[in-house]
Amino acid sequence: MQTKIYLDEENLPKTWYNIQADLPSPLDPPLHPATGKPVGSADLAPIFPMELIGQEMSTKRDIQIPEDVREILKIWRPSPLIRAHRLEKYLKTPAKIYYKWEGVSPAGSHKPNTAVPQAYYNMKDGTERIATETGAGQWGSALAFATSLFGLECTVYMVRSSYVHKPYRKSMMQVWGAECIPSPSPRTASGRAMLEKDPDTTGSLGMAISEAVEDAATHANTHYSLGSVLNHVCLHQTIMGLEAREQLAMVDDYPDVVIGSVGGGSNFAGISFPFAGDILTGKAKGTEIIGVEPAACPTMTRGLYEYDYGDVAGLTPMLKMYTLGHEFVPPALHAGGLRYHGDSPIVSRLVHDGIITPKSYLQNEVFEAAEIFARTEGIIIAPEAAHAAKGAMDAALECRKTGEAKTILFCNSGHGHFDMSAYDAFHAGEIIDYECPDDLIKESLSHLPKMRG
Amino acid sequence: MKRKIGLVINPIAGLGGTVGLKGTDGLSTEAREQGAVPKAGIRAEETLSLLRDDPLHFLTASGAMGADALTDCGMSDYTILYRCSDPTTAEDTIAACKEIAEAGADIIIFAGGDGTARDVLSAVGQSLPILGIPAGVKMYSAVFATDPIAAAALIREAGTLPLRDAEVLDIDEEAYRNGLLTSRLYGIARTPFLRGFVQHAKETFFGYLDEDRERRDIARFMAGVLASGRPFILGPGSTTGAIAEEMGLPKTLLGFDAYADGTISLADLNERSLLAFLHDHTDTRLIISPIGAQGFVIGRGTQVVSPAVLKQIGYEKIIIVATESKLRATPDLHIDSGDHALDCSFPQSVRVICGFGIAQRRKLLRSV
Repeated sequence: MQTKIYLDEENLPKTWYNIQADLPSPLDPPLHPATGKPVGSADLAPIFPMELIGQEMSTKRDIQIPEDVREILKIWRPSPLIRAHRLEKYLKTPAKIYYKWEGVSPAGSHKPNTAVPQAYYNMKDGTERIATETGAGQWGSALAFATSLFGLECTVYMVRSSYVHKPYRKSMMQVWGAECIPSPSPRTASGRAMLEKDPDTTGSLGMAISEAVEDAATHANTHYSLGSVLNHVCLHQTIMGLEAREQLAMVDDYPDVVIGSVGGGSNFAGISFPFAGDILTGKAKGTEIIGVEPAACPTMTRGLYEYDYGDVAGLTPMLKMYTLGHEFVPPALHAGGLRYHGDSPIVSRLVHDGIITPKSYLQNEVFEAAEIFARTEGIIIAPEAAHAAKGAMDAALECRKTGEAKTILFCNSGHGHFDMSAYDAFHAGEIIDYECPDDLIKESLSHLPKMRG
Repeated sequence: MKRKIGLVINPIAGLGGTVGLKGTDGLSTEAREQGAVPKAGIRAEETLSLLRDDPLHFLTASGAMGADALTDCGMSDYTILYRCSDPTTAEDTIAACKEIAEAGADIIIFAGGDGTARDVLSAVGQSLPILGIPAGVKMYSAVFATDPIAAAALIREAGTLPLRDAEVLDIDEEAYRNGLLTSRLYGIARTPFLRGFVQHAKETFFGYLDEDRERRDIARFMAGVLASGRPFILGPGSTTGAIAEEMGLPKTLLGFDAYADGTISLADLNERSLLAFLHDHTDTRLIISPIGAQGFVIGRGTQVVSPAVLKQIGYEKIIIVATESKLRATPDLHIDSGDHALDCSFPQSVRVICGFGIAQRRKLLRSV
């Protein structure tokens, strides 16, 4: 009974998969926040290196992974694909459950998959410092790790609620030499404006993005880096799905269901795009691709598919995506990494086209699933990853009803070793089931004058 | 050996509730004139009828203060220790409780509200445990079971359950009628305790900076929702008060007010005027908040919303609002409309608007 499926290091993918090549029509372009016209490379040059701008807009299917990046990825990649035998037995399901285990990276999550190439391209471009934002701290610690490898400075604006509740993520960033600042901060004009409006704000990813973008745009030696949402980030993460497809082929399998949790959408994109591409190119049929999000921040299930800003202050280009509105501040969830008002434009497009099925869960049911996972598979997973685990368990239980022996693959995106206070809260019965009163929100918006077209 | 249970009913408790008076102290005649029907005896009977087969001997007062309810339930195993006057007064409650305590009761159960709790406590102090069957208008004290059915369960187990300190609070009714909610601690009673069965003392959250802010967020959001012009009713409390303030509308802090066409139609409704408003405005929504730390969404101090009112409005048109601070103090919400079957028709969990565009899902508990 095989449990772990390993790829040899020499089989670490040499290219990323760019799903833009296989979309039936091009993505709606990002629009300039001031002019409303499509943004070009020149607009993005102050904050991103050219190579990443090229990847953002590319429609080339396979994009080379630089050899220097592959060498660093080999510290933990290829990551194991694990068959969850004990979980299957517990659920009494005929389904086969596999998970791609990304908790083996130095930062403990999938985030270094894109942090390393982003730091690399910035180093190549002569960038001296990178400014970024982080929600729960997964991305900030991953970029701190990656920039330390290439001798770059790193400034991380961390959502204040997480900064307070997850102090060890901040400590990790400091160990790797980064500066971590609670956001909103007095360091930037947008931060000062937000503090003036609401000095007690818990902060949000949208606010932290505004600060990091402003920092990069106002310092010549500094670039900006985003840990999710953008096309090039999703591209870098496809290494997970590419590996998983190879690993499943080694045991003559192919998934019927692919599941990931969705905050900005990059880990989900990473596990699912190679399989979504198989659907788009007719290589596979009937694969169900499920994106799982929190009921408290239900962008895909309850949001609108519209152009919106990526941040609170409206500094970023407007992206066509599922959004709850860039001013939406989600409640202080334990799955802090899933607190984002929008979603990756590519993920949004695939939801809109019916390739991806979105689903949302309340916090308590997610923690119940996380605990079942820990007690069967042994690993204590991050609340973000637990959303995907919950989705996989529900799919497996559905198989128990129908008797189908489906193959289920989910992205287990990271460990929960810094989330133990959330588990404590769960045991104390203090986890709150937040949800989005979307019917009332729509009603409150319906009789307001349209502010923007 | 049979356990000895003291039973005292305050026949006039709760009279003010259905006619929109905030408490009955000194107003029982006025309440009766407005059509209020005594119900403390009925609430007591709901509890007693569940204890018919238990080996209990009751020590009680005559007539409406106890003996009638026992007889109505077909229970004859009781001793009358006190003859009450007509109409009954607070002095009757105090004297009856003293007699019952002297006769060696294991516990005194009483049907009434905060005023009755004060009288019982003043008579017996901590010499024996007391337990309230909720039947008053105000029940801020922590000595009440959550409903008459829970009271029966507590009485049945009372010999084996741990006792805890329970605050007896009452609010100044005169100030309360003028829109000021000030509670006063009258003493500490001992009461049997089983998690989920006994209410926590209501707390008032004035001057709580954090909660002020939460309330403002809720008010901003709800003002946007209610701006559509549909008729609505705002229940009592400071959160609903903040909504009215945000919309620039007047509000009776402790009563129900009705609004239509962007203006107040009727202030400080009672059950009758509320039903009349609903008759004229079929699409009316009701915005209510659990009051204090009790977590009662329906029932207790919100008795204007009677079963008849609830049936007329329908569950889907009720919007519950509460600050996160309040929800932290009341992990579960309760319903006790007085109609158990109606309570059971409500869903197991409800959505509570707790911020700007944010809601929580909370369990709604009813009789066990």
